[in-house]
Amino acid sequence: MSTDAKDVRSLLVRAARNEARRDGSRTIEAEHVLLALAATEDTDAARMLTEAGLTQDSIRAALANEWEHSLAVAGIAVRIGLLPMATPDNTRDPNIGESTKLLLKRALDARPASGANRITPLRILVGILDTERGRVARALQVAGVDRVALRVKAADALAAG
Amino acid sequence: MTELVDPEDPAAGLAAVVALRRLADRLEDSQVEQAMRAGWSWSDVAEVLGVTRQAVHKKHARRLLAAGVALRRR
Repeated sequence: MSTDAKDVRSLLVRAARNEARRDGSRTIEAEHVLLALAATEDTDAARMLTEAGLTQDSIRAALANEWEHSLAVAGIAVRIGLLPMATPDNTRDPNIGESTKLLLKRALDARPASGANRITPLRILVGILDTERGRVARALQVAGVDRVALRVKAADALAAG
Repeated sequence: MTELVDPEDPAAGLAAVVALRRLADRLEDSQVEQAMRAGWSWSDVAEVLGVTRQAVHKKHARRLLAAGVALRRR
């Protein structure tokens, strides 16, 4: 990876925060980090996501589908695309949400073979994929993406350095 | 995919809670904005939502000002 890891991290945080604002969310959640990751240029993580059919557009579509499915559990039929939009609050500074704290912890647990302490996009991807709970896992399930296989692939690439 | 809408599955039921909160937040943001664009007062919006005028103002005023909505004082 040509870009400095620290740059990638700050870029990711900024992009994830923008995704949270766009989503009208008061917190940065794992799905916002995933969207930010998919938009990174020239990273192993973004390439791996693309190979699995996960671009920003397809992730947004999968998240909207997950939302509709979960509302249906409560007997509510909503087309997310038809919901009225609110103007995003660009002055808002969303905090780190619980799902992001968990994924960062999991990313730290997924140490590369070299034992380096740097948090790389690939490590963050492993952290995101390392749970069967939450919106990301459900959205991937709805989209027909094999989360476990993708996690193994990302972890293998991490171990290989 | 059927298990996603199985009401007996707590994972689906808990996901529905999250989905409903997201829906309520989205509707509140868009409908408060729509009311204020239509010239409603903060007091009227607060009364319908069943919260104080201060609460609705604190939650939405900055966003609506940034969005260029002309806000009434009361």
